[in-house]
Amino acid sequence: MCRQIKQRHSVFCVLPPQILRRVAENGTVEQREVALQTLATDSTYRTLRAVRLAAPVTTPAAVAVADQLQRTISNARNTQNLPGIVARAEGASATGDPAVDEAYDGLGDTYEFYREMLDRNSIDDQGMPLNATVHYSRNYDNAYWDGRRMVFGDGDGALFNRFTVAVDIMGHELTHGVTEFEAQLVYSHRSGALNESLSDVFGSLVKQYRNGKQAAEDADWLIGEGLLAENVQGVALRSMKEPGTAFDDPVLGKDSQPGHMDDFVNTNDDNGGVHINSGIPNRAFYLAATAMGGFAGEKAGPIWYAAMRDPRLKPNSGFRRFARLTAVNAWNLFPDGEEHRIVQDAWRQVGVMI
Amino acid sequence: MRVQFKTEGGFAYLPGLSKPVTIDTDRLTPEEAGKLERLVEAAGFFGLPATSDQPRGGADFRTYTISISSSGRDHTVRIVEPVEDPQVQALVDYLGEKARDSRAGPRSRDSY
Repeated sequence: MCRQIKQRHSVFCVLPPQILRRVAENGTVEQREVALQTLATDSTYRTLRAVRLAAPVTTPAAVAVADQLQRTISNARNTQNLPGIVARAEGASATGDPAVDEAYDGLGDTYEFYREMLDRNSIDDQGMPLNATVHYSRNYDNAYWDGRRMVFGDGDGALFNRFTVAVDIMGHELTHGVTEFEAQLVYSHRSGALNESLSDVFGSLVKQYRNGKQAAEDADWLIGEGLLAENVQGVALRSMKEPGTAFDDPVLGKDSQPGHMDDFVNTNDDNGGVHINSGIPNRAFYLAATAMGGFAGEKAGPIWYAAMRDPRLKPNSGFRRFARLTAVNAWNLFPDGEEHRIVQDAWRQVGVMI
Repeated sequence: MRVQFKTEGGFAYLPGLSKPVTIDTDRLTPEEAGKLERLVEAAGFFGLPATSDQPRGGADFRTYTISISSSGRDHTVRIVEPVEDPQVQALVDYLGEKARDSRAGPRSRDSY
């Protein structure tokens, strides 16, 4: 890492983070620049955590680690041509098009959540550019991740609003990229439901992060709030707190997500019910997070993230393997705490015995 | 011609919206029936492979299943979006619109 710093500033590479931080705050312009670069290139979790802990809240700008956020929002102009025309590049000001601006902000919020709370630099942890296309197709009731970019529809207006309306949707899609990069959970049946749940979990955490690192007990744990059109009988697309209660509408039907293994849905539809059975691990996360208390991005989030990146998680892993890994990683991260017991209990409450 | 159309998956996947929709050209106006038949023809439907290639990575994409019976020919195709062929996309768009019309009922935008 210190190879990236000019020779005459090599002394900065031996300075511990606390001193680098002081230089970043109080040094000359040049000294501050080099201190920030040194902090930025040392990406060990410990270093950044020390910086974050040492940083008083009154001077956030001085200790801002050099950002690698690189967003490009494109407009497909209601065609299916991807990527579309560039509508807003990184650093550009708001365009007045809500879909463009919501995508821009949502991608930024997701990037910042991952960077600050999980020490992750974008989808690949190496500053991968974040690309999204809005106004895809006509009456398009969907948003998806195609392996390289996010694609958002405008909704049909009668059942669904535009798919950039909720930040957790963007967090959800971006997290598919992270999961693909880290765990490669196969997108079908149980591993697929786990994949979907991870996107709902981290999508929710982005929303709670943006709401001022809101405490778990204060969060609504709803996915896609604001997505359902005005006359639809429902509050959101899914509820992590109480799967199966998000909507009950004559056209949409009733929310059919299970919250317990007893109600696991065996189906071949939807790649084996990946959007249905995700309710079970979703609820486990909700139970763990609320039992731990405080902002879920501090403890439950890092535990789930560590389990996602655990080499023992395989592409075809199911709920029980993942649950065990959350308990093991809870112990690793918090060896003297109650967290591993809370995690174990949360899974048991949804019928996954570990 | 009898066409059955179903959409699965997607971020907002809801089983209630995923029930198949059936269109029978005998029940359509001659104009609509002709339009549908031309779309099916232009898409080369009966020559399409039963399943398309899976996308490399990706999530929350939707899958469309189209089954058509016509003059003794029966064929079912499962297509994963994004759809490459614009003629096939035109057929999917048309069927998607019909599916929405049949579901939205009194709440469709046109009725406001």
